[in-house]
Amino acid sequence: MKKSLFNNACLKIVGLLLCLIGTAFTASAGSTVTDFDTIPSDSLKRLRRYEQRLSRLQAHWQRLIPSYGKVQYAGNMGLISVGGGWAYGKNRQWETDLLIGFLPKYKSDAAKATLTLKQNFMPWRWHTGEHIFIEPLACGLYFNTVLHNDFWVRQPDRYPKGYYWFSTRIRTNIYIGQRITFKIPPHKRFFTKAITAFYEISTCDYYILSHVGNSGYPLRDLISLSFGLKMQLF
Amino acid sequence: MLATAALTSCELIDYHPYDVRITGPTDVNATNIARIEAACRGKQQVRVAVIGDSHRWYDELKLFVKAVNARGGIDFVIHDGDLSEYGYTQEFLWTRDYLDELSVPYVALIGNHDCLGTGRNTYRAVFGDADFAFVAGRVKFVCLNTNALEYDYSDPIPDFNFIASQITSQAGEFDCTVGVMHARPGDDVFNNNVATVFHEYMLRLPQLACCINGHGHSMRHDDLMGDGVIYHQTGSLNDRAYMLFTFNNDGTYSYEEVAF
Repeated sequence: MKKSLFNNACLKIVGLLLCLIGTAFTASAGSTVTDFDTIPSDSLKRLRRYEQRLSRLQAHWQRLIPSYGKVQYAGNMGLISVGGGWAYGKNRQWETDLLIGFLPKYKSDAAKATLTLKQNFMPWRWHTGEHIFIEPLACGLYFNTVLHNDFWVRQPDRYPKGYYWFSTRIRTNIYIGQRITFKIPPHKRFFTKAITAFYEISTCDYYILSHVGNSGYPLRDLISLSFGLKMQLF
Repeated sequence: MLATAALTSCELIDYHPYDVRITGPTDVNATNIARIEAACRGKQQVRVAVIGDSHRWYDELKLFVKAVNARGGIDFVIHDGDLSEYGYTQEFLWTRDYLDELSVPYVALIGNHDCLGTGRNTYRAVFGDADFAFVAGRVKFVCLNTNALEYDYSDPIPDFNFIASQITSQAGEFDCTVGVMHARPGDDVFNNNVATVFHEYMLRLPQLACCINGHGHSMRHDDLMGDGVIYHQTGSLNDRAYMLFTFNNDGTYSYEEVAF
């Protein structure tokens, strides 16, 4: 049984993402300047409405462009995960990440790709200088899925009903961490407006379940440490 | 202090529950079989403690290890499968590390839970082949992977070629045989299309004394096929009991259930 690293599901999701981002860019590039003098006045109103609608549509699609890129080491999502996400809220205290992780083969049959959907919340910001701020608490929840045929969301049909109640494919993780952000002065910017370094201490459903009912287990088996960088584009 | 912090940090780095990144001893069964064969050579009888289905009952596993070490007089231990609950890598390492505290060698079979995800890869790396055999005293233990359902019947499980090979392999070194497996004929994960054929193959093994299995989570001693060959089923470790067998070289044996 030969298994490719990026299987169908992965390709589909990446394709969809590229498609969305591509559409957003095309939409903004496609807006044209209309020469109003050559158009009869009764059509002008209709045209304006069209252009308003078009700009609204473009604005909607533009919101799909990720506002930052992220790279994260470890954290039960793979050796390394890369991706982007969207910051929102009054103080941009909310974030949603979409990350693709790479898990090397080690002693298994094949290297694997994983996909992570992650929700972050940073309630506070401490400005410690003109160009630096600290987020003393970052916390959140993330779901990771292994893109490999040996894993299932629900047990395959061959098993008797209710044989395995859990999913081997999807892991639910929670974390707390901290962040420090360096703002890049406008004249020094290339692609990035600010760079954030962060660490996270996380645990996943399996780790909690394995420890329930067992006493005297070292904390280090329950929790995981990960590090990452965030590049704020705009 | 910095070094300690760095070391602790390293232990906290997890790539994925199913990453099959192995630390510590590997090929545990092969290593321990060499110890068992050496220690039991020339013995008239061997005493074996058997457990199974430890899943995530780690406290009970620790108590079992303590009980065996305190009792003494046991030659080796067999874990008849389900070393893990979810098949993720660390579960196998925890179970291995607790069993490594035993003062006697042990072997571990693969259970159906141990096949989940990358579990079978981890089992292979940490413990070795899913089918294996060894001789203690003059008793041969034929340990088999019988979790057919986990392989969707795409792999030959049980492997009849392996069973047949054990009739002649190590010939002259043993006088009787004991079959060990996780699931027994009739169980949900067993390939029941070949349940009787399997038993008949087992009977070809020189002087089959009995079979030992796990999976059922309750201690039972059943003459499954009505021919006098008993399938001894170990309970789950949650029941805090193990089976203690004394095998004589002529194929006679006795057993008791020992609570801990």
